[in-house]
Amino acid sequence: MSMNGAMNGRRGYRSGLVNLGVGEISREIFVNEDIYAEEQERIFARAWLHVGHESQIPKPGDYFVSSMGEESVILCRDRAGRIHVFLNSCRHRGMKVCRYDEGSTTVFTCPYHGWSYGTDGRLVGVPYFREAYHARLDKEKWGLVEVAQLCNYKGSIWATWDTAAPTLTEYLGDFTRFLDLQLDGWDGREGQAEVLGGIQKWLVPCNWKFPAENFSGDTYHNISHRSVDLAGIGPSGAGRRDMGERDASRKLHVCIPDRGHQTILYVLPAGRLPPPAYMNAPIVAEYFRHCEEERRRRRGDESRLIGAPGEIFPNTALLSRQPRTMAAWHPRGPHQTECWRWFFVDRDAPTEVKQFLRDYYIRYSGPAGMTEQDDMENWNYAHAASRGTIARRHPYNYDQGRGTAVADYEYQGLRVPGEVIDLTEVQSSEQPMRNFYRRWAEFMEADDWSQLATWRVGERKAAE
Amino acid sequence: MSAPINVRDLVPGTSVVLADGAVAEIVTNPGDGMWLFARYLTSPSDPTLVGQEEMIFAPDVVALGRSAVV
Amino acid sequence: MAERDARIDRLLLGQEIADFLYREAELLDERRYREWLDLLADDIRYWMPMRRNVKFGEDEREFTRADSDINWFDEGKDTLSRRVKQIETGIHWAEEPRSRLSHLVANVQLQGAEPSFAAPQQVSVTSRFLIYRNRVQTETDILVGRREDSLRRNGAGWLLARRKIILDQNVLLTKNLTFFI
Repeated sequence: MSMNGAMNGRRGYRSGLVNLGVGEISREIFVNEDIYAEEQERIFARAWLHVGHESQIPKPGDYFVSSMGEESVILCRDRAGRIHVFLNSCRHRGMKVCRYDEGSTTVFTCPYHGWSYGTDGRLVGVPYFREAYHARLDKEKWGLVEVAQLCNYKGSIWATWDTAAPTLTEYLGDFTRFLDLQLDGWDGREGQAEVLGGIQKWLVPCNWKFPAENFSGDTYHNISHRSVDLAGIGPSGAGRRDMGERDASRKLHVCIPDRGHQTILYVLPAGRLPPPAYMNAPIVAEYFRHCEEERRRRRGDESRLIGAPGEIFPNTALLSRQPRTMAAWHPRGPHQTECWRWFFVDRDAPTEVKQFLRDYYIRYSGPAGMTEQDDMENWNYAHAASRGTIARRHPYNYDQGRGTAVADYEYQGLRVPGEVIDLTEVQSSEQPMRNFYRRWAEFMEADDWSQLATWRVGERKAAE
Repeated sequence: MSAPINVRDLVPGTSVVLADGAVAEIVTNPGDGMWLFARYLTSPSDPTLVGQEEMIFAPDVVALGRSAVV
Repeated sequence: MAERDARIDRLLLGQEIADFLYREAELLDERRYREWLDLLADDIRYWMPMRRNVKFGEDEREFTRADSDINWFDEGKDTLSRRVKQIETGIHWAEEPRSRLSHLVANVQLQGAEPSFAAPQQVSVTSRFLIYRNRVQTETDILVGRREDSLRRNGAGWLLARRKIILDQNVLLTKNLTFFI
């Protein structure tokens, strides 16, 4: 399949480079410069991207500089308390209007020629407006470029540049409940999460899709983390995390087709609470024991869902249990990813609980995290070994569990949406990756959202 | 041309004298060293500005007037 | 004479502390991690904050805080020991094959000694580091920064009781921190 063949006409993503029929995906999609450039247009300019959390900008004037795809953006709260996301680039000559990481301000002033923007993005200060511009510049047209849509979902801030994109809720579809696991309180109250101070940012020499597919639900790479299991960093002193709740549960892969979101999920038996956890600190153990009881009281059967690694298309990773963190995989060229990590606690959790969790998060995740370090080594050298001429001729194998997903999974009365593979006996599958790359190929080929929002056709047919 | 003034740390309430002879009192200082939000106290060249809050560009500030009591 | 004696006390102590830091660096470079752990007090606090780009005059925002914020490191001897244990499994792929490391320690400055330079029980010292890490075939990282250490007398020697590491980076430019600073 030549690159020209891939770039023209139907592009060949679904029929050649991503060949789900036989479970093979070309290495080209990870290392090819042209494909990377297309991704910026077809994926990052159109999808919903995670930008930050409202707890990072609590007061009017607060801002946090974030990233959407390759581009720097400013997440801020204006004087009236409304949240905005702007492209961090002066409309005049492009200079970044904010090179600080976070803070509080009344205006964003460009150091180059002095154009100044309010926290609502409006162009308010233009030097020599009356003299040099003869008062003719239409300031209303030259405010900071604002995202087309913004959504504050239970505190997490999402944005898209595409006016035609569906709402975030529609974009998430049945995956919404898994984002809820991330953001709701441990005790089942809605939206209790806050972000701990300090956003980890680091570079990894690999394509962004390596971490994206890892968090989509790589259940096969546990062996790579054996050293951290042996070191025993878990909150009860053993392994990597408390395994009791997982060992007691059905282990699933849950894929939302049409959306490209997927997750590992554990489902407890009916009427069962998670076993004791966090045993290294009695205060923390008791806190979580109480939370689990409250969660069941508030949420009933829904409380049997135990979150695990998941991915919202294209580049937002979730993990709602141990450790509780979200990540964004920012593309920095085909061969580099800038990883950002946010860590969550419930805002009214006791100080001892927050500190205990914080200690655990630091030793688990990120570049100093004893678990994540081995992931990054794998991503780095998997990518590096795929760049050569010969390597690129040989596709990756994504065949595991192909054809075994079911669409009507139920466990002891609890229905789980999407296409599900029960991994409890079979150990692993690669259904989440196939789901992710199917969506990736759709984005790369679709001209517009009428071709991407395929679920609407079904809804229309049902209504007729 | 008068010596440049760093307007970055001027406190609200400080008066500034502008190049056209106007005097304005700082309402808000965004701390960028380029702009001040100030209310005109006097404005010989354009009396309609008196009482108005405008954005003042730093090079237009030629002298400091009365400083605010901090 | 008294003044000269005081200066000599300080000079000798300074050299003794510098020798401690150089020996510590050598242990790390030679991967003698167990001996390195023995240089750490049982109650050691090992902290490396993250750094933000902040506006002039807003220095209080620059560093992430110990105990409450996310940091690169903020831990005690137990976690540091587990890091060593992980490397010693021989299957910690991020550090297998192992990195080649050189810790260059410079600008060593004795900041204070309690109760005195002549008979110190506790010492505070700052130093700067340049760590060269070379890995696998061409992977190279250079980390530079400053350390603020507190050392505690232990018999004829010293133990590291507290280390704050100030790394001169914002976005971490290395994919992992599998080594000690």
